Amino acid sequence: MSSHREAPEIAKDPVADGTDVYAFMHPTEEGQVVIIANFIPLQQPNGGPNFYEFADDVLYEIHVSNTNKCEKNVTYRFNFRTEVKGNSFLYNNGVIESIDSPSFLRPQTYDVARVMNSGKRNQTAEQINGRFKVPPVNVGPRSTPNYPALANSAITTVGGRKFFAGQRSDAFYVDLGSIFDLGTLRPFQNLHLLPMAAMDGINAVQSYNCHTIAIQVPVSDLVKGGNPSQSPKDRKNTIGVWATASRRKARIFNEKAAKYKGAGPVQQVSRLGNPLVNEVLIPMGQKDRWNSSPINEDSDYAGSVTQPELQSLLPFLYPGVFPNLAAYTKPRADLAAILLTGIPRGIIPGFQNYTGPVQADMLRLNTAIKPTPKDSDSYSIYGVVGGDLGGFPNGRRIEDDVVGIELRAVAGVTIPLVDPSYEPDGAAALLKDGTTNTNEPLLDEFPFLGHPGGGFQTVPGTTTSEDPKK
Amino acid sequence: MSETSRRNFMAAAGAGAAATTAVALSAGSAQARPAVLGTKGVAEPVVALIEDHRSGIVRLLVGEREVVVNDRDLVARILNAAGGK
Repeated sequence: MSSHREAPEIAKDPVADGTDVYAFMHPTEEGQVVIIANFIPLQQPNGGPNFYEFADDVLYEIHVSNTNKCEKNVTYRFNFRTEVKGNSFLYNNGVIESIDSPSFLRPQTYDVARVMNSGKRNQTAEQINGRFKVPPVNVGPRSTPNYPALANSAITTVGGRKFFAGQRSDAFYVDLGSIFDLGTLRPFQNLHLLPMAAMDGINAVQSYNCHTIAIQVPVSDLVKGGNPSQSPKDRKNTIGVWATASRRKARIFNEKAAKYKGAGPVQQVSRLGNPLVNEVLIPMGQKDRWNSSPINEDSDYAGSVTQPELQSLLPFLYPGVFPNLAAYTKPRADLAAILLTGIPRGIIPGFQNYTGPVQADMLRLNTAIKPTPKDSDSYSIYGVVGGDLGGFPNGRRIEDDVVGIELRAVAGVTIPLVDPSYEPDGAAALLKDGTTNTNEPLLDEFPFLGHPGGGFQTVPGTTTSEDPKK
Repeated sequence: MSETSRRNFMAAAGAGAAATTAVALSAGSAQARPAVLGTKGVAEPVVALIEDHRSGIVRLLVGEREVVVNDRDLVARILNAAGGK
């Protein structure tokens, strides 16, 4: 998945597991940037009585780099606190008609700090006024009736900035069952080394929720000097975005409190910028170290990007389908540009999101490029690869088919950007896993991700151990 | 009584060892000269981490800080205590 359970250590620590990051220009409110960071993957909506929630002992952060050093120039820092009310075994002992309902027995609140130059000598921090509320999870129609209104009441606006933290429907869509069964793409599995009849993909994330931290802030909050320009050519308009989760360095189980307590400084345990990097490109033995390392040391992992294992697997798994890719032996400068440095001027007409030579995994959003209206002919869920400069890898919109985009990129469609003599295989531009977002519909307004599926309403999926070929 | 005996001391000792041992150093197992808790001493839980028994370095995790102490004698006493000596 984008980054759900993508590394061995973080797979054991779901509350700290960052799953997706989105960064895009608000589609209707000019000059506003929306950043969404998802955590806690694959939540069954009916997972009570201890429903999913943010962790009090995890530090959640959204970072923005606005210089060529790929450092934490602007950080939004979120600290959560959970209260246990009453003496019930239940999450709620009555209808939660409002976010302050006395029936809500496990309310969470959080505070937000805006930190400049985090971790450096010139670090400064501004505490955003207020203690913000997290809505309850979507328990069901009796416990949390009119869930949209309940959740929307948790959207907070302070000083022109919007914040939301709470459960959402996961909008990522991918066919996990096929991809991790020897790299199968169901629409093309008739061409696989171990063939079966082609079929549509199956969205493995369907019906699952996640926990979201979303912010909507003016561009001036994020670009260097707070003074954006209108020109996409102006490098200062491009920001780098990533999210992290950190824990105290030591955890000790306090027998008296029957809880873990932290000791020492915080240590980053999860990070995420571009989708699928740690998931698909970084080798299993390096994934945990990647998660704990700063982004501006990503040159250590550049070899996994410029010579991706998946590139060599595609011609092997789909014999005869990718002859040009099989013969291509040069380091993938196109992937390095897309994922590690941004795309410099002069490669794609009217576009650049280059942040300098420092290799770092972060979404790069050129804030001077206007958002593409969904009803426009140039709108494409394949983003820049599909001719739409408003989509991935110019930041990432929720609707962007990043699995399809990155599959096509790895399969070679982006090689001609840096090596015009290369002719991509015909199949490369068609690659997809055959899934669509079959989760809850997205919202037209902040926080954009759909409301979470309800516990009562959820019907378990199906499974079988039968061989589909028989 | 040693300085360390005044604290709630947890030691994860040994080179890469997974085991964590709770240690309460007694006067008898430490050096002869008694230590006292100074004004800069902390009165909160401290975690001591020795990752390399040959380095002489013990990392003290306290509050939100990490204090790196290079003291072979202290490291030796903690390791001996962890070994039950």
